[in-house]
Amino acid sequence: MTSHAATGAIDHHHDHTTSTGIPNKKLLMWAFLASDCMFFGTLISTHLIYRLHPPPGNPVPRQIFDIPLTSFSTFILLMSSLMMALAVNAIQKGNLKSMRFSLLTTILFGSIFLGGQVFEFNNFVHEHHMTITNSILGTTFYTLTGTHGTHVAIGVLWLGLMYVRSFKAAAPTPGSYPWLGNLLHVLALVAAILLSMKLVLSLVWGLQEHGMSAATLGGIARAQWLAIVGAVVAFGALRWFARPAGPVQFDQRNAVDVEMMGLYWHFVDIVWIVIFTAVYLLEYL
Amino acid sequence: MSDSTHSPATGHAAEESKFAAYVQIAMLLAVITGVEIAVIGLPFAKWLLVSVLVVLSAVKFMFVIFYFMHLRWDKVFCTILFFIGLILAGGTMWALLKLFSVENSVPLSVALNAITDFSRLV
Repeated sequence: MTSHAATGAIDHHHDHTTSTGIPNKKLLMWAFLASDCMFFGTLISTHLIYRLHPPPGNPVPRQIFDIPLTSFSTFILLMSSLMMALAVNAIQKGNLKSMRFSLLTTILFGSIFLGGQVFEFNNFVHEHHMTITNSILGTTFYTLTGTHGTHVAIGVLWLGLMYVRSFKAAAPTPGSYPWLGNLLHVLALVAAILLSMKLVLSLVWGLQEHGMSAATLGGIARAQWLAIVGAVVAFGALRWFARPAGPVQFDQRNAVDVEMMGLYWHFVDIVWIVIFTAVYLLEYL
Repeated sequence: MSDSTHSPATGHAAEESKFAAYVQIAMLLAVITGVEIAVIGLPFAKWLLVSVLVVLSAVKFMFVIFYFMHLRWDKVFCTILFFIGLILAGGTMWALLKLFSVENSVPLSVALNAITDFSRLV
């Protein structure tokens, strides 16, 4: 990272201390993404080659796919990319509050995408009897979209860790254990995400099965009371950890870390852009 | 793409205008996604629809990598590095799809059964 001599502003796109003029972390991420292109390229090709081997009883992939759900997931991932770009933009300007909000929104959208994928996989297995082992289409489809989903899950975890890191105190109180606070903060965030996903999916499945009524909602609430209490506690803990607590170590100088994470997140988005067309839409032609 | 020579003033102005640009690009990407979904229902030739879908996906892809991933403002080496991976991936996909077409992926047992059935008919 280098400073403009005239203004003292940080140049976020160039680093004159490296031989390439590019921040090393950013260069590393671009090299990794280039290699990941090849990884996904082979997975997509394999699926395209073996896509005509659907599970017994479901001869046409388009009878299995659910385009409205996939389109919604695509839209959500695009919006998460927007929020990620805004998070990078915010920290480059030193706006920590805006960056945290954008990171949390990105985490929310990423979690919605993952929830959609869980719903889709569950539907494919139980409604259309397509498992990872009973057909080659199932094997290639779940391997491809599952690998992408794993990338999204890693991205959500990374976003969460960056969010928690942005609260790290500049001068910890002597005798305290700041690492313990950070650990609890991460655990609260992970618990809030997982429990929210569980509750939303239970609600969707319950409404699908029994229809919208007070009795259905009451039944879901009774069955999921522990998850509801856990989610309330987790969100309360998140609110408590986010309270104003003095200066932090995170500022404009950390913009390259957020940008590197953003590169990864946008890559996950562009892979989905290709998967959406090659795997889903082309089946309908 | 690469631009390491702009002045701090123009660089700052570019940073300021990024917010609006990001929102506009995201809206454009959402619209393109809607168009993609609408296109699959049109009664045109398959090759034309496939071409349109590929072009629309490529446009979305390019907008994300050049604007959201900042390739437009970063050094050109980042673009070259990423496109090396992209071209290798594209080449691998092309080679695989050329070598193994969808029809050729039918398992041998299924193919043998089909030949047997055909022999019986003849």
